[in-house]
Amino acid sequence: MLLSMPNLGTALAVLGAALAALMGGIGSAKGVSLAGQAGAGVVAEDPGKFGKVLILQALPGTQGIYGFLTAALLLAQIKIIGTGFEPVPLIQGAMYFFACLPVGVVGWISAILQGKAAVAGINLVAKRPDQSGKAITFAAMVETYAVLALLISVLSIFSISNLEM
Amino acid sequence: MAKLNMKYVEVLAPIEEGKRIIDFIQQKGVLEVNEYGLNDSLQALPTGNVVSVFENNRALVLSAVEVLEEYASNKKSLLSALEPRRELSYEEFLDRSDSIDTTLCFARRVVQLSKSVTDLKVANAHLNSQIDALAPWMPLDAPAGRGKTENVGYFAGTLPAPYTEESLKVAINEKYEDLPLYDIKIISSTKDLTCIFALAMFESIQELETSLRELGFIPALENLNSTPASKAASLEEEINANLTKIEDSQKILKDLAQRLDELEFACDYYNIRIDKYESLSKLALSDNIIAINGYAPAKSADLLAAELEEKFCAAAQVREPLEEEEPPVLFGNNSFVSPVESVTEMYSMPGRDDTDPNPFVSMFYYSFFGMMLSDAGYGLLMVLAALFVKKKFKLEKNIKKTVDFFLYCGIGTVFWGAMFGSWFGDIVQVVGREIFGKEIPSIALWFEPIQNPIKMLMFSFLFGMMHLFLGLWVNFLQLWKQGKKLDAVLDVFPVYLTVTGAAPLAAGMIIPVPEIYAVVGKYLALAGVAGVVLTAGRSSKNIIGKFGGGLYALYGVASGYLSDILSYSRLLALGLSTGVIASVVNVLGTLPQNKVTKIITLIVVFIFGHAVNFALNVIGSYVHTNRLHYVEFFSKFYEGGGRAFAPLKINTKHFKFKEEK
Repeated sequence: MLLSMPNLGTALAVLGAALAALMGGIGSAKGVSLAGQAGAGVVAEDPGKFGKVLILQALPGTQGIYGFLTAALLLAQIKIIGTGFEPVPLIQGAMYFFACLPVGVVGWISAILQGKAAVAGINLVAKRPDQSGKAITFAAMVETYAVLALLISVLSIFSISNLEM
Repeated sequence: MAKLNMKYVEVLAPIEEGKRIIDFIQQKGVLEVNEYGLNDSLQALPTGNVVSVFENNRALVLSAVEVLEEYASNKKSLLSALEPRRELSYEEFLDRSDSIDTTLCFARRVVQLSKSVTDLKVANAHLNSQIDALAPWMPLDAPAGRGKTENVGYFAGTLPAPYTEESLKVAINEKYEDLPLYDIKIISSTKDLTCIFALAMFESIQELETSLRELGFIPALENLNSTPASKAASLEEEINANLTKIEDSQKILKDLAQRLDELEFACDYYNIRIDKYESLSKLALSDNIIAINGYAPAKSADLLAAELEEKFCAAAQVREPLEEEEPPVLFGNNSFVSPVESVTEMYSMPGRDDTDPNPFVSMFYYSFFGMMLSDAGYGLLMVLAALFVKKKFKLEKNIKKTVDFFLYCGIGTVFWGAMFGSWFGDIVQVVGREIFGKEIPSIALWFEPIQNPIKMLMFSFLFGMMHLFLGLWVNFLQLWKQGKKLDAVLDVFPVYLTVTGAAPLAAGMIIPVPEIYAVVGKYLALAGVAGVVLTAGRSSKNIIGKFGGGLYALYGVASGYLSDILSYSRLLALGLSTGVIASVVNVLGTLPQNKVTKIITLIVVFIFGHAVNFALNVIGSYVHTNRLHYVEFFSKFYEGGGRAFAPLKINTKHFKFKEEK
């Protein structure tokens, strides 16, 4: 009965898009907030460090963007955004759902961990402002895995839509 | 050679020439004064006390500047940071330095005035709160305190509940039925506070108060001897008097703000003096002689030495740095390369054996930035802003570098944006479709990554390989120049072969690759692998060590280059994120059905949406382009650990000395 519902595939796909946006967004909010709290402390001491601290704070924000990006791409792919909506077959919807998992899960966790690395970097900048390049690099290392997860999700979404089914 | 050659300079002079020589060196600004080795006969000159006096004065002047900037009639705009410093001849500088004590008094006066303004404002806030506390007592036409006349006593206070005169009397009578004659006036009553004024015959006043206390009565704190209204009026008067004082002080400060220039001069003056005295502490002196040493760029070193000997009674010697010395680093690059120097400086200055990485960084930097920001509209904004600033202001050298950085990154972005057909996202298509009802095809000069992400991914990896190969090539050049020619060839070429050969094989797993590439790739890779395994362990003594070292190196090449190349996928990821968010912004703008509403919404959403997207992605592109250079590129050849050239110079914020003709 449930399986014969015509829009179940679409619903699964939308669930995937929602999860990607949700998890990435939650993770980034957490990470950016961690870094922001540390940053506020540093800027209270020396307002001149604002620029350097801001870059570090912005770093864990990208996972939220990746999640949003994946969600937007998927919604456009299944024509929820735009015109010409057609129900997605159940199996394809499930594939879309799974394709969203990497960017959602990795985005969520890596954003929080990157936030922690950014906090450490902000503390480094507080003591040695000339070393901000290294602090940024340390935090940016974490992002690699979010980038890889994003690519898998995006490539899957594009490939799934090209499958003959 | 973009790392300028440094020479070691040593100056000996009679002790009485010391200060003048240091002044001269500071004015020239080409010599980094280093600590001179001390021994029994050579002592350091302790200047710590003088420096700390200067630092205190500078702090005072700085706080005065901060005060006056607030009162200055022509506020500094954001763009004023771009204005060049004012010019001053050395004679003018000396003239103005003579009156520095007057300026210091002036600064003290400004700080005092500003402090008195702050104090008066605090006092007024306190007075205002007193007036607020009087507010519920205002209707009372007697002193709101405790007192007595011949037969009658009275007191005022508050109860923590709403009462009327009747309800209060009822409440009191419930407790004390036989109270003699008394009267209570309700002055004001709110939900949780009732102000009362009570009077009774002298002998029963105590009893009345006790009964009221049981209802939660608290006597009024103010033991006023005038009515609340007149008290409030006198407080008001005090406030007004303070306000007049504040206004007077502010008027004086506003007038004084015209002399901001003097304070700014003093600020620069103290900066110069502090630098000078800090350098003085680095010299060595014997009973009659001072000794200065340090590094100067080769071009200026001889000139400086000659001038010192000519103008002063001094002996100056210039020589090449010794093998074991680490002279400081100063870059000398053209205007295309120098903007990326800040990127390198953030990582580390080049060490002794490093070549200047900036020319190589500049080859890819602007382009990678452009691919990540990847929107021609955004790039155009950067280019226009940079050109505007360049045209409007006469820029100082280091600000010009930053603006040029923006300009070249912007050009890179316009280029890649045009290649990918992204101008503020797909605004051209959106306007065509939604407003003119016409489908406009893609305007990409090359292709749209969002239509074919795999293709873009492959090209990202390809660009990454080229970038890494460039880094490896720099390594080759460095080793070759150091005379390690065999190492240069053996460390670099097998890696080239392996990675070039493996690339078509790996790409074949994702996209179809012509048979011929795969075959050629296989042999190249095999040759490269053989090269690595056979040669990378050559430093080891025995044959097992050589082979083991080779295998280990092969593992390093395989895993290292694989992860390095994959990392360049961020070129695609960041590019996609700019493009997709820009498209979403455009879609949001066209949601309304009505055409007029649509146009208005589109304009508003366009401005705000793209501003946010632009800001986010400029930061992202900057950070990730840096990262690709720091982690992937620099790891191929760059050691770092050098120290930046920091000459003793006129380090000022507001004024600069005229170039001597």
